[in-house]
Amino acid sequence: MSKTMSARVLIQKFQRPLILLVLVVVLTLLQPDAFATVSNFKSIFLAISIYGVMVSGSIFTILLGGIDLAVGAVAALSGACTVLTIIAFNYSDIGVILGILAGLLAGCFVGLMHGVIISKFRVPAFLITVATMNIVYGAAELLTGNQTINIISPASFTFVGGGQLFGIPFPIYIVALMAFLSFIILNMTVFGRQVYATGGNPVAASLSGVPVFRTTCAAYIISGFTAAAAGIVLASMNQQAISKAAQGYENDVLTAIVVGGTSLMGGEGSIQGAIFGALLVGILNNGLRLMGVSSIYHTLVKGIIIIIAVSFDFYSRNRNSGLLRTGRLRLWMARQVAILMKEEKHQP
Amino acid sequence: MNVDDILLRAVDIEKSFSGVKVLKKVGLDIRRGEVHAVMGENGAGKSTLIKVLTGVYPRDEGKIFFNGASVTINSRQDAKDLGIAVIYQELSLIPTLTVAQNILLGQEICRAGILDNGAMKLAIRKLIETYGFSLNPDAIVETLSIAQRQTVEILKALSMQSSLIIMDEPTASLSVKESENLFQTIGALKKRGVSILYISHRLEEVYRLADRLTILRDGERIAVLSQGEINPRDVIRLMIGKELRQSEHAGRMRPSRPEVVLRVRNLSRRGVFSDISFDLHRGEVLGIGGLVGSGRSEILHCLFGSDRPDSGDILFEGKPIRGTVSRNIRSGFGLVPEDRRTQGFIPLLSMKRNIVLTNYDHLVGRRLFISGKSELAMCRDAIQRLDIRPANSEIHAGNLSGGNQQKVVVGKWLMRDLKMLLIDEPTAGIDVGVKEDIYALIGELAEKGVAVILVSSDLPELLRISHRILVMRKGRIFREFSEGSVSQEDVLKAASGIQDREIESNE
Repeated sequence: MSKTMSARVLIQKFQRPLILLVLVVVLTLLQPDAFATVSNFKSIFLAISIYGVMVSGSIFTILLGGIDLAVGAVAALSGACTVLTIIAFNYSDIGVILGILAGLLAGCFVGLMHGVIISKFRVPAFLITVATMNIVYGAAELLTGNQTINIISPASFTFVGGGQLFGIPFPIYIVALMAFLSFIILNMTVFGRQVYATGGNPVAASLSGVPVFRTTCAAYIISGFTAAAAGIVLASMNQQAISKAAQGYENDVLTAIVVGGTSLMGGEGSIQGAIFGALLVGILNNGLRLMGVSSIYHTLVKGIIIIIAVSFDFYSRNRNSGLLRTGRLRLWMARQVAILMKEEKHQP
Repeated sequence: MNVDDILLRAVDIEKSFSGVKVLKKVGLDIRRGEVHAVMGENGAGKSTLIKVLTGVYPRDEGKIFFNGASVTINSRQDAKDLGIAVIYQELSLIPTLTVAQNILLGQEICRAGILDNGAMKLAIRKLIETYGFSLNPDAIVETLSIAQRQTVEILKALSMQSSLIIMDEPTASLSVKESENLFQTIGALKKRGVSILYISHRLEEVYRLADRLTILRDGERIAVLSQGEINPRDVIRLMIGKELRQSEHAGRMRPSRPEVVLRVRNLSRRGVFSDISFDLHRGEVLGIGGLVGSGRSEILHCLFGSDRPDSGDILFEGKPIRGTVSRNIRSGFGLVPEDRRTQGFIPLLSMKRNIVLTNYDHLVGRRLFISGKSELAMCRDAIQRLDIRPANSEIHAGNLSGGNQQKVVVGKWLMRDLKMLLIDEPTAGIDVGVKEDIYALIGELAEKGVAVILVSSDLPELLRISHRILVMRKGRIFREFSEGSVSQEDVLKAASGIQDREIESNE
C-alpha cells in the first residue's frame, strides 16, 4: 500500500473542514464587522451546544439504522426532573447533584424502554419513538403542571448552562466532552464496532456473535442520556423548566447527523461528520440571522439541506447496490406495464 | 407425430453469455395439452431456455414456432400476447389486493371509466368454476397459502387466454399436501387442453406428472423421453452424463472413529425437520446432501444456536448446549451461512472489521480499548493465509468478488481456536480457483482436528470433501453413506427418495 496521497484524495479527506472554511470566509466577506468576532463565534457555539450534546448520543441510534425522535421530549422531561428535585431539596448543592442524577436517570430509562421495545418486538424505531415522544411530553407537562418553573439559584446549577470557564461558556466544554466520549466509544471499543456491525447487517452481526439486543438497548440508553444532559444544560441556560423547552430539537439533531454523512440506513457514518453537520447548520443559521434574513427562512433552509443530504445518501446507496435498484426498477416497470395495458384497453 | 398437435416448437436455439455458450442447438416440442417436463443439473441451461422462450433474453440463433407459425419473442409482452405465461418461483402478486383484483390487474373491466365490480367478480367466479378450483374471489391474497397463491397466478395466466403455462420449480416451497393440490390443478389444466412446461429437480414429481421429458445437460438436449421411458435410473444417468459414472468421480468414504465431538439426538423442529440423530467426530468432514428445502440449513442454525429446536438433545463434548450464539462461538463453533450477502458479512464494513468481528474476545479480552495494531495484524494474517485479493484491509467487504467475500467469511473463523465448523453451500456462486482454495482449507481444518459439517447441493463437491455423507429428504435423514465408494447417482437417488435395492445388497 502506498502512503502517498493524491490531491483528490486529500481534498476528499478534508472535504468537510474545507466546506466549513469556505462558508466562514464567505460570511466574513459578507459581514466583516459582525461575523468574524469572538463574541459571535461564542454565540454560534453556544447555539449548537444543546443539540450538539444530543447529536453525540443520537448518532448511535442512527448508526444502528434506527432513529430517536424523542430527544426533544426527553430533554424537557429531564429538565423538569432536575429543576423540581433542586426545588424539593431547597436549592441546595446536594439538590443540584441529585437533580442532575434524576434528570439523567429519566433519560436513560426512556432510552432503555426504546431499546427493549425496538429489539424485542421489532417495532420500527420511528414509530415507537414518535409514540414515546408524546408520552414523555405528557409526563413533562404533568410534572411542571404545564407551567414555566423558574429557577435562578443556586449558582452551582446556573453555572452549568450560563457560566464561563477561561472565557469560554461552560456548555461548550460539555458538548466537547460528549463528542469526545462518543468518538472514543465508537472508534476504540468493542461496543462501537458492534454498533456499526449491527447497523450494517443485523443478521450477519448476530451470527457473528454480536449481542444485538444488548447493543440496541445500550445505543438507545446513550441517546436518552445525552438528550437528558442537553435538557439539563438547557434548563440551566434558560433558568427555567418548561415542557415545551426543547420542542423541535430532534429536527436539528437529525439535520446535523445526516448532513454529516451518516446514513439513515445504518452502519455508516461518524461523530466527526455529525459535529461538522452541527457546525454547518449553526454557522448557516447565524449567517442568515446576521444578514437580516427572517427566522422563518431558517427552517426553510434547514429543510432544503436535509433533502439534499438525504437524497444524496439514498442516491449513492442505490447506485452502489444493484439489488435495490433492480427491485425498484422492477416495481416501476410493473406499474408502467399495468398502465400501458389499461390504456390499450381504453382505446376503441 | 401430427404437426397440428404441436403447440410450441423451438428449433436449434443458441444462446451465449459473454462468449460462453449456454444453449447449444437446443430443440423443444410441446404438444397441445401435455405436461412436458425439463430436467437437468444446475447450469444445464433450463432457466436460460425458459427465459428465451418468454422473451427475457433474446436468442442468438434458432427459430420458435407457435401454433405452426414462426414467431419472434422479444419481450415478456410478446410471450404474453401469444399465450405463454410463466408462474415464477417468487410470486408476483400484490398481497393486499383480493384474488379478483389480482387476476384482473391491468385488465380491469370498466363501464364508462368506472370499475364494474359486479362484472369482474362474475368473470372470475366463472373462471374458477370452469377449472373446479376452490378459491374465493374476494379473499385477500395475503391471507392465502403459498399453494393458493400459485393457483391465483395460474388463474391470472388463464384469464389472459394462455395456452402454455411454464412452471419453474413450483413445488419448491409447498408442503406435501399443497403439492398434491397443485398436481390436481395441473390435471385440470391438462384436461382443458392447456399445455404445461414443468421444470423441476424432483424426479418423483416428473415421474408422476410428465407426459414427456426433455433432458438438458451442459446446454444440449440429451434426450426426449415419453412417459413409458421415464425411469429414475436412466434419467439420472442422462442428467449427469456417462463419464461421471467412473470411479474417479465417485467419493470414497473414509470413516474415522476417534472421539465424538458432537452428538445430536432426536432433534426436531416442527414443519422443518424431525428426528435427526447423528454423531460428529473430531477431524471429520460430515457432508449433508439432499434437495434444497429438505431442512439442512435449519439444522445448522439449530446447532449454532441461532435457532431453537422444538425437541431433542445436542451434546457438544459431552455437555448439552443451551447457549446463545456468542457463547457457542466462545466454545469453538463457527458458521459459514448459506446466503453470504444477507447473513455472512457486513458489506459496508471494511474487510478488517469483518474478519475481526468474531474475535474481539481474544483481541481485547478484559481491556477497555481496541488496539488498532492487533486488528490490522489479525487481518493481515487472514489475508495471507487465505490469499484474499485485493490484499487491502480497508476495502469494503461488499466490494470484493464473491469468492473473496467467502474467504472473508471463512477467515473470521480461522483466526480463533475453532473446534466445529458448520459450512452451508460454501462455493455457491464462486469461481473455480477460489473453490479449490476453500476445499483445501476445509481439508486442512479437518486434518488439524476441527469437526466440519458441510451442507452442499453441489454433488461433486459433496463427494469430494466429505468423509461421510448423510442424505436428507423432507426433513429426515434418509440415508447414510459411511463406507465404500459413493457416486453422484447414489446421492441423487437417495435425495429423490429412491431406495436402491442393488446398492443395499452390495453393502
